[in-house]
Amino acid sequence: MQNATVGVALRGHPSPENINGWPQRATPATIPFSAIVVLSVIAAAAFASWLPLQVSIVTLFLFAGPHNWFELRYFLTRLPVRFGRSRNFFLTAFAGLGLLTLTYVSLPFLYNATLWSEEASYVVIALWNTALLFWLTLLVWLRSKQKRGANWKWTIPVGLALCSLNWLGPDLFSLAIVYVHPLIAFWFLDRHILRTRPAWSRAYRRCLWLVPLVLAVMIWQLSATPALADNNGLFWRITQHSGAEVLPQVSSHMLVSVHLFLEMLHYGVWIIALPLIGRIASARFWEVRTVPIARHPKGFPRIVACALVLAVVVVVGLWFGFSIDYSTTRDIYFTVAIAHVLAEAPFLLRML
Amino acid sequence: MKSLLVACSLLLLFAFSTNADVAKPKTPEKAAKRVLHTGLEIVPDSKLYEAKLQISQSDFNSLRAALDGGAGSSPVVGGIAFSAPRTIVAGLLMFMAVSVGGVLIARSSSIGRAQKTIGAALLVAVLLGAAAVITRGNAGPPESWRWRNLPQALAEGKSTVGGVDVEIVPDDQMDGRTMRLVIPLKKQ
Repeated sequence: MQNATVGVALRGHPSPENINGWPQRATPATIPFSAIVVLSVIAAAAFASWLPLQVSIVTLFLFAGPHNWFELRYFLTRLPVRFGRSRNFFLTAFAGLGLLTLTYVSLPFLYNATLWSEEASYVVIALWNTALLFWLTLLVWLRSKQKRGANWKWTIPVGLALCSLNWLGPDLFSLAIVYVHPLIAFWFLDRHILRTRPAWSRAYRRCLWLVPLVLAVMIWQLSATPALADNNGLFWRITQHSGAEVLPQVSSHMLVSVHLFLEMLHYGVWIIALPLIGRIASARFWEVRTVPIARHPKGFPRIVACALVLAVVVVVGLWFGFSIDYSTTRDIYFTVAIAHVLAEAPFLLRML
Repeated sequence: MKSLLVACSLLLLFAFSTNADVAKPKTPEKAAKRVLHTGLEIVPDSKLYEAKLQISQSDFNSLRAALDGGAGSSPVVGGIAFSAPRTIVAGLLMFMAVSVGGVLIARSSSIGRAQKTIGAALLVAVLLGAAAVITRGNAGPPESWRWRNLPQALAEGKSTVGGVDVEIVPDDQMDGRTMRLVIPLKKQ
């Protein structure tokens, strides 16, 4: 029996008792972890339902920038020193990331400069979404070529079907991205826990069932609430971002609350859960040497340090911008922030 | 001079009279604009002394948003209804999705015969469903079917529920009235 376990471990599969040095069996620490997850989900739902607009303003001000910094740091830790066999994958990822971000950021300027009709703007949004879906499908295909035994061909018809739905309602598809993006953080955390604290994985997945349950309760409770007062520019922007214009028949209170709830969980995962769960070294997030490509003899410590310091400057600049002109900074942030939404795709694929 | 003035006055008078008789140029009739598709319940109530038109808050919001933005009822339906090119692209992509999916299922060696049959049936169902959505095909009975028993229900004091399109009609086409409920009743 013991030999069999050693044999499995030698072939690269984790033994039942030990993965990455962490015990796989449930430990006493699982209970506090589960309790924290459950409390966080309930607290986020309560705050988001209670004062959606006010809490949205405060949450974005405090956590938007830092969560991007932690995300950048996390992506740097997942980046290999040499691309090797993954060269095509990373080149496609970075080229698509740059091109899609650039076109997305330029869309508002083009819209103002050329005065598109409503239908033309729908077509442009549909084209951008189609490009995004093709890029994602291409990344999945490249990644599946690297993984032995992976058969991800089913993603091609799924991608085409999503493209089709996107052309039926481009604005709805874009809104779906706004709502789905925060959920991707849960997937990252799931993969991260599997690698670093496998004993917590089952508890974490059970806790995740609470999210749709809480969402259902929120929708049930808030669907009949009157629309939020969007009589000033900032409140109007928040309700618009949550889809009040695209879904006029749905209570804007519900939309803002649901979106805020997901955003709060998203920030919690990136700022608290991912840095703190795992190896003790990764918790010292301020140390550049904890990033593998900075620590490696053939790595790039200076580039990593510069990127992280620059990101800190951007975060402070964002706080300054929010203090001076919250509405404009919010608009700029959510336009540029598409880059981090896109960047999640290749790094998540690398973890699958 | 006097006779000239009288003649001019008469001429002007006749001119105005003649002008007044010229038929007004026909202005092109504006088509009624459909802004919302929703449900309607007609409820006879013997206790009321005046008819009431009740509208839900959400429908009112939709109506207001549709009037402000000029879009159709629900975003999806509105988007499909007002854009033929996008509908064509969506249809082509859905066709490709179903075709590629079908080929993958057919070629897959790991999937059994029964599973392939189920998969093919699912694909056909998805294709038909998507086609119905895209073309706004009338999968169910026509809306008029729900109203067929309205006279009988009114006579019996029962309510009737059916679909209704809210249309904004130009004032000159309303014959001085402000609201009109048109029910699709077929002769039986």
